[in-house]
Amino acid sequence: MKPMAKFYTALIMLFLFAPIAILLVFSFNEAKSLSVFSGGSLYWYRELFRDAETLGAVRNTLILAFSASILSTIMGTAAAVGIHRLRSKAMRAAMDTVTNIPMINPDIITGISLMLMFVFVGRLFGAATSLNFWTMLIAHITFCLPYVILQVLPKLQQMDRSLPEAAMDLGCTPVRAFLKVEIPEIMPGIITGLIMAFTLSLDDFVISYFTAGNGFQTLPIRIYNMTKKTVTPKMYALSTIIFFTILALLIMTNLIDTGPGVERPAKDKPERPAARKKARRIALGIGTVLAVGMIAVMVIAAPKKPVLNVYNWGEYISDGSEDSFDTIKGFEEWYLENYGHEVEVNYTTFASNEDMYAKLSSGAVSYDVIVPSDYMIQRMKDEGMLLELNFDNIPNYQYIGESFRGMYYDPDELYTVPYTYNFVGIIWDAEQVDEEDIGDWDLMWNEKYAGDILQFNNSRDAFATAQYKLGLDVNSDNPQEWQAALGELKRQQPLVKSYVMDEVYNMMESGEAAICAYYAGDYFTMLDAAADSVDLQFYTPERTNYFVDAMCIPSCCQNKELAEIFINYMLEKEPAVANAEYICYGCPNSLVYEDEDYAEEMGEEAMEILYPDIERFGELYEAYAYRNLSTEMLDTINTLWEELKIN
Amino acid sequence: MRKIIELKNITKSFDGEVVLDNISLDIYDNEFMTLLGPSGCGKTTTLRIIAGFEQPDQGEVYFLGEDIAALPPHKRNVNTVFQRYALFPHLNVFENIAFPLREKKVGNAEIQEKVTEMLKLVALTGFEKRSVTSLSGGQQQRVAIARALVSKPKVLLLDEPLAALDLKLRKDMQQELKNIQKATGITFVFVTHDQEEALSMSDTVVVMSEGRIQQIGTPIDIYNEPQNAFVADFIGESNIVNGVMLEDRKVRFSGHVFDCVDIGFGKNEAVDVVIRPEDVDIVPEEKGMLKGTVTSVTFLGVHYEIIVDINGFKWMIQTTDFVDVDERIGIYLEPDAIHIMKKSEYSGMFGDYSSFSNEFDELSDAEAAAEAEEEE
Repeated sequence: MKPMAKFYTALIMLFLFAPIAILLVFSFNEAKSLSVFSGGSLYWYRELFRDAETLGAVRNTLILAFSASILSTIMGTAAAVGIHRLRSKAMRAAMDTVTNIPMINPDIITGISLMLMFVFVGRLFGAATSLNFWTMLIAHITFCLPYVILQVLPKLQQMDRSLPEAAMDLGCTPVRAFLKVEIPEIMPGIITGLIMAFTLSLDDFVISYFTAGNGFQTLPIRIYNMTKKTVTPKMYALSTIIFFTILALLIMTNLIDTGPGVERPAKDKPERPAARKKARRIALGIGTVLAVGMIAVMVIAAPKKPVLNVYNWGEYISDGSEDSFDTIKGFEEWYLENYGHEVEVNYTTFASNEDMYAKLSSGAVSYDVIVPSDYMIQRMKDEGMLLELNFDNIPNYQYIGESFRGMYYDPDELYTVPYTYNFVGIIWDAEQVDEEDIGDWDLMWNEKYAGDILQFNNSRDAFATAQYKLGLDVNSDNPQEWQAALGELKRQQPLVKSYVMDEVYNMMESGEAAICAYYAGDYFTMLDAAADSVDLQFYTPERTNYFVDAMCIPSCCQNKELAEIFINYMLEKEPAVANAEYICYGCPNSLVYEDEDYAEEMGEEAMEILYPDIERFGELYEAYAYRNLSTEMLDTINTLWEELKIN
Repeated sequence: MRKIIELKNITKSFDGEVVLDNISLDIYDNEFMTLLGPSGCGKTTTLRIIAGFEQPDQGEVYFLGEDIAALPPHKRNVNTVFQRYALFPHLNVFENIAFPLREKKVGNAEIQEKVTEMLKLVALTGFEKRSVTSLSGGQQQRVAIARALVSKPKVLLLDEPLAALDLKLRKDMQQELKNIQKATGITFVFVTHDQEEALSMSDTVVVMSEGRIQQIGTPIDIYNEPQNAFVADFIGESNIVNGVMLEDRKVRFSGHVFDCVDIGFGKNEAVDVVIRPEDVDIVPEEKGMLKGTVTSVTFLGVHYEIIVDINGFKWMIQTTDFVDVDERIGIYLEPDAIHIMKKSEYSGMFGDYSSFSNEFDELSDAEAAAEAEEEE
């Protein structure tokens, strides 16, 4: 029995702490790789502290956690006292149940219902945007409150009811009796509640996601949006720091809770006045810190300068990390210099076109500049969600290359300024693949490499590889053609190692797989982190998927002229080059692709891959890029895709 | 003697249930008064009305002739010792006792002096810095008393303060409380359901039942001259039988006419007759005024407690003579062993030992204790 118990404990410890231990170790990794540890370094910690957007999110999260925990503790304590004083047992039970609802309710329901309420009430008062810091604060207080009550109420119930009476009997007014006798008695509960509320607020994602306004991004949301590309080891460093912070809070809670709570006869336990005193000192310390936090909130929440709300993909702007140019700060300084007054940019990120679309169409937020992909632009334009641009404010549009203008999603050049483009190519490991086998899509069907090929785990992208191979139209509305593509995919299936999305990075970087189709820009990311035993190469088949992400102004924009000034700034040489270097995608701005310094920085190989023949881009794009498909077509594709996956 | 507290026609109900029914009570200076009664009789509520924690529905409360009905507890010159002491766990012994003085913004030197004096009074000198949670029950009790006395109230209210102590400690504390009361000259109003405690400590005992005062008197009066069957039964053991007062000093019960010392009843008035078990003399059957059969004998150390069936009514007798079960005996009653009471609503409810057994008695005691707990 005993060795079994020990084994069981060891197993639990392993599963609990092994991931954290790995995280901790890799946060000190010198290289970018997820799988290879190449020496200890504080590099990623330094990087973390240079990432202005993440630090901003940390600041936001702390502000929110401080204010939500303090307010919910005050309200929760008051509520607990109120519930405790109810004479009727039935009423008490009812109150208990009501306060427990937010705790039992799934977060997603709490989040959606709160968002709905904020939007509804906001509309009632005619507000253009109803989600902001304050709504998020209300949401956080809502879900923290029951936990505070849950901590404080038992302390009140444990307390001898005659304590406050004794205080009054000895000369205290009821208020003084509460402050001098009841509060010290329930203090451990209040502090535990405060710390719980703080940690809950700190790591909440679901409810925050639904109630977050423009420009106020918390850390969990920031991390989620960063995963659009690969998770950088910066996140390990951050997670390690958070883990130890929470651990410290937890230890503190336990210290406080072991201090004697209610009076006990002498023989039960030896006296611990020292522990009690210590607990009180800790409590005092926390109180002071929280109070300072509260003041910070007030300072930060004070009214400010004109605000520009930018909504972009995660990791999609040069942000000052790794010694790069800080675009947002650059714009703010540039604006002050040219317009004589200050501006503030609220920069928020999203993880997918669909996320962005959902957020915008909820009507709860307003953004001034967004960067959707081509098919989403068409959809939003059709739904009247985009404003026409005034190109008088965007003179730098002249630098956009001819072949990037007038694409299908914006044929008359009214709504968009292209930001980046990218395309799918084939990545192969020269250590495992013979050079003579490369060339077209055939490589992904080459039986020689059975078990080393990765295919997209996403119907549209996977079908496209087959369609390009067969010379079919990827936007076809003929089910027969899709059937043919399915046949090709089935033929490939025995050769496929696995169907992947984000896992592709790790599998290619480590040499676990040899061939995959992926985006040119992401190839450079893999190259950076690849193990020494891997020699990744890239080529672009003639027929392949191209896409463009472009800057647009949504109809909820609050300051159109400022938005246009920002778009124009993004086309200036310095920020444009910095962004192109940071993102590693193709840039349609001639100031960039004709710049020699940029070409040198990117290297010959990258320039060849990203800018093979700019003159032909428009032609290839129009021929091969994805368009919006009809719902019926999408259904058909999904059915076919499932047929493939079931095999 | 000066009246300190006067309760006049106090009525109080909780949720429609009458807890105090038209109570009037005078409390005098320097008096040790005990409110005695079973749980639920209203004694604690009376105390809480004096302290100011409850407001009477009807009636007045006077303090030195002044109506204090509207005065909150912290403005009343009375202090309370709570059943479970209600010491403040976050303060040490010294600070607990100093609490009322600090509330009154008394200077530090004076606090030091007064607290030291109080600690001496309750024999806890040297315990100043101790945490109250580390003290024994008796010590906590003393701290509670010191804390309640330190600001020299006119009246100290004690709500079953000894209930949580074990028997030995309880006896010591009874004596000590009595001494403290004498030393300080402060009026004590003491609530208990323990009749022995009430008799041994009090100057005046107030017997309460069902929200009404049954009798007020000295312990000796209460024991010897109970006013009705409830008091006779609640204070000590009693055989209560129906009788008829033939004339002054002549009463008939159990088929026999007895001489007694009571006068002032109507001719042939139906009365309750009380005979204390220790006042009954056992004689040979043929010499007895009444005759009966012994049905049980219990040895209690100082004496035997025997139950005798006399014409179907079971009497309890305490005697030092040994008799056997099933033995036929006679009993003899001196005139002053017989106490006559007017008929009351409690007549016929008490004083028959036909269902008596020691176990039963203990059982009902335990129940009473449990109920007392719940009441808090």
